[in-house]
Formats: sequence, structure tokens, C-alpha cells
Amino acid sequence: MRPILKHPLNVRIFHYILLLSFLPLAATGLLLFFKPLSQEGMQLTYDVHIIAGIVMALDAVAFTIMAFDRVVLFIARVFSFSGRDVKWFMVLGGYPQKFLLGKKVPIPPMNKYNSGQKLFGACVLIGGTVLILSGLVLWFIPHAAPRDIVWFLGQAHLVSGLVLTAFLPVHLFLAVYRFDDFKAMMIHGNVPYHDAAEYTPLWVKNEIAPVATNGEQLTSK
Amino acid sequence: MNKKKHLFAEDSFFLSRRKFMAVGAAFVAALAIPIGWFTSKLERRNEYIKARSQGLYKDDSLAKTRVSHANPAVEKYYKEFGGEPLGHMSHELLHTHFVDRTKLSS
Repeated sequence: MRPILKHPLNVRIFHYILLLSFLPLAATGLLLFFKPLSQEGMQLTYDVHIIAGIVMALDAVAFTIMAFDRVVLFIARVFSFSGRDVKWFMVLGGYPQKFLLGKKVPIPPMNKYNSGQKLFGACVLIGGTVLILSGLVLWFIPHAAPRDIVWFLGQAHLVSGLVLTAFLPVHLFLAVYRFDDFKAMMIHGNVPYHDAAEYTPLWVKNEIAPVATNGEQLTSK
Repeated sequence: MNKKKHLFAEDSFFLSRRKFMAVGAAFVAALAIPIGWFTSKLERRNEYIKARSQGLYKDDSLAKTRVSHANPAVEKYYKEFGGEPLGHMSHELLHTHFVDRTKLSS
């Protein structure tokens, strides 16, 4: 196997903290929306939501400051758009055909992220920022901020939270489906060369370079 | 965790400096715009509150009767009917009573 470093350590740590804070946030957010518990239960839910929200906000701010180059790279990747993306969305990455009909359709070559991942990335970037900023106002100064703006921020918080929560099962399912990528994000950061070449050929072709490792034989690209 | 077992990685930095600065500046601006917008809203709201409280103080200074116990109607009530402030009659008539119904609802 010829491994490619796909997710560096700082990205994996960021993703872990995001995972550990977003799961309780999504669960407690839904509980706060439907209010099924007693007064004490709802209070505890609210407290957990606030604490997890602080953890997620600090994680995002710290990563943006400490790894600003990766954030810029991510934004540049996520918001790049071409005819390939249109073609990808026309066949939805070939996933419905694969899962429902068991047949393989041709898919345009993708960069590090495919078009669906780019859409998800844009939602996470915009929605996450909206969640953090509106959450701060709703928590800190709901009494001091103008009433209509607090109402608007509450709606924005709700919609962003619901959209990102709705993405969650899709993200988890496809993450486990692409198991090599799953292991890369969760464990060692590496994907096998053949896996990357199959799913992300443009990335491998344009952006991947050999790395000198201690005494190990480099296999040519 | 990461013992550099990979043989390939992303080329050190494939974004040009110009593109990096453009995307980074756009990102920082996109973050700063809502914060600036909200701060200005908050400031304008505080201005309104300050103007409102100034107006109330002005009204107060212009008013003939500025405190409730100087109100002629109240003075007349105590003189002709209620007796003294906090007296028995006034307590019966003016005091508001509450019943705790919170425990009945559940």
C-alpha cells in the first residue's frame, strides 16, 4: 500500500472535538425544540447545550486562528465550482444508482472533495458560523439586543441547526461507506493511493507530491 | 499518533499567495460584516433608549405633580376616607392579594 496523508493531525483533532461537541448539541437542540421533558430535565438539557456550544465555538475559533491556511484551503476548495459539479449533481455522484439499482454510472473526476461534500462543507461553514454568532447573542444578550433581531437570530439558529442535523445521518452513512476515508479521518490520516486515485483523481493528479520518509523506498507516482 | 508513515501528501502549498490572501480576506470580511452590522444595531438601539429616558426625565421635570403622594386626589382620599397611609382601611381596600396557582396546573 502507498499511503497518502489526507487528513493532517490538526484537522483530525479539530474534527474529533467538533464531533464530540456537535452530537450533544444536535440531540439537546432537538430536545429544546420539542420540549418533551419536565422543567428540571429541560434546564439540564439547556445547560448541556450551552456547554457543548462553548466547546464547539472555541474549537472553531482556535482552529481558524491556529490553522488559518487550512481554513483558507477548505474555503477555496468548497466554493470552487465548475461544469464537473453540475454533471456530478445530475447523477448525484452515482450513489442512488449504486445503492438502488446496483449499477455503475460514469462520474466526472473529482478534486479532494466531491460536489456533495463541497455542498456539505459550504453548509457547515456558513451554518456553523451562523449557529455560533446567533447562539452567542441568544445566550448572552437576548434582553439587550433589539427584539426583532433576537427573533430573527432565533429563527436563523433553528434553521441552521436543523439543516446541519439533517445532514448528520447522511454524513455518517457515507463516511462509513467510504471506509478508507473514515479510517483516515478517525485514526491515522492516510488513505491508500488506489482509493484516492479512484474517488479523487484530480486531487491525486494535481496536488499530491511524494514525501521523503526515513529510509523508506519511495514508490514513483 | 502520526509517525509519518505516508509516502505522499498534498504539495506543500498549491494556492498562490494572491489567491490565499483573497480567500482569507473575503472570509475575515464575511465574519466581520455581521458582527459590525449587529454592533451598529445595538448602538443605535442604545441611542434610542438614552433619548427615551432623557425624554422621560424632561417630562418629569415639566410635570406639576411629580410624586404620587403629592397627587391631590390621593391627598383627598386619605383626608376624607382612607385615614392614614398603611392604615387598616387602606390595607383592606388597596392591597392586592395573590393566590399561588402554580401547583394546581400540573
